[in-house]
Amino acid sequence: MASKPPPGHFNILYFASAGSYTSKNVEALPAPLPLRKLFDTLEERYQGIRGSVLDHSLVTINLTYVDVPDDEAVEEGQEVVIQEGDEVAIIPPVSSG
Amino acid sequence: MATTTIDAPQTQDSSLSQEGCYVALTSSPLNIPSITDRVRSPQAGAIVLFAGTTRDSFDNKPVKELQYTAYAPLALRTMLDIAAALKAKHGLKGIAMVHRLGVVPVGEESILIAVSSPHRQAAWRAGEEALEECKARVEVWKREEFEAGEGVWRANRDGARGERVD
Repeated sequence: MASKPPPGHFNILYFASAGSYTSKNVEALPAPLPLRKLFDTLEERYQGIRGSVLDHSLVTINLTYVDVPDDEAVEEGQEVVIQEGDEVAIIPPVSSG
Repeated sequence: MATTTIDAPQTQDSSLSQEGCYVALTSSPLNIPSITDRVRSPQAGAIVLFAGTTRDSFDNKPVKELQYTAYAPLALRTMLDIAAALKAKHGLKGIAMVHRLGVVPVGEESILIAVSSPHRQAAWRAGEEALEECKARVEVWKREEFEAGEGVWRANRDGARGERVD
């Protein structure tokens, strides 16, 4: 759906309230990025987004849901890292029907 | 005032299907005869159809229009998961679910679900479960624009009021 991210980047898609908060549907961010750093990275760019949006949202990487770990609680070898070319999405609570 | 636009690629029609299951997203008005035909079967004694329509108010506040957006590839995948699971669980002959995207005028269908089965009980149950599963899981979002000017992204979970967008 979004065009390919430039080299060294991944795409992040913002749906519903995430899109309203960031005023965009998609952007490219530098890769690689450890998943546990994702919310900090977004909070730096969009102050307040963690409490308003991210805390009630789910996250997918390449259409698969992932658990976003606490910054400190990652054991070695268990680290999930967002890679160049990945498609990450912020999924707020859904409202189909 | 922040406005949320829906990218054209998100409103393009798309669908997935596999053995007796059909799911789709479309920006066109929904068509009841065509979804019914998708599940029609000589082995079925019942077709149950659910049509969800857009309401003109929320908490007594008049709603001007509704707009749906989707993470299309993921929403289709989730819809197909739901369809396949219910087909197996209830022994359905067919199940089809179509969700409309983009602006849906008040009073029009936003979702259609059709299921067919040899006997009516299974079809009634599967139809209800399909809708509840969709509302809980499918990656589609509804935005209500109120007559008063503001809009909110609705959340199905626990009847949440959604986040106000100014």
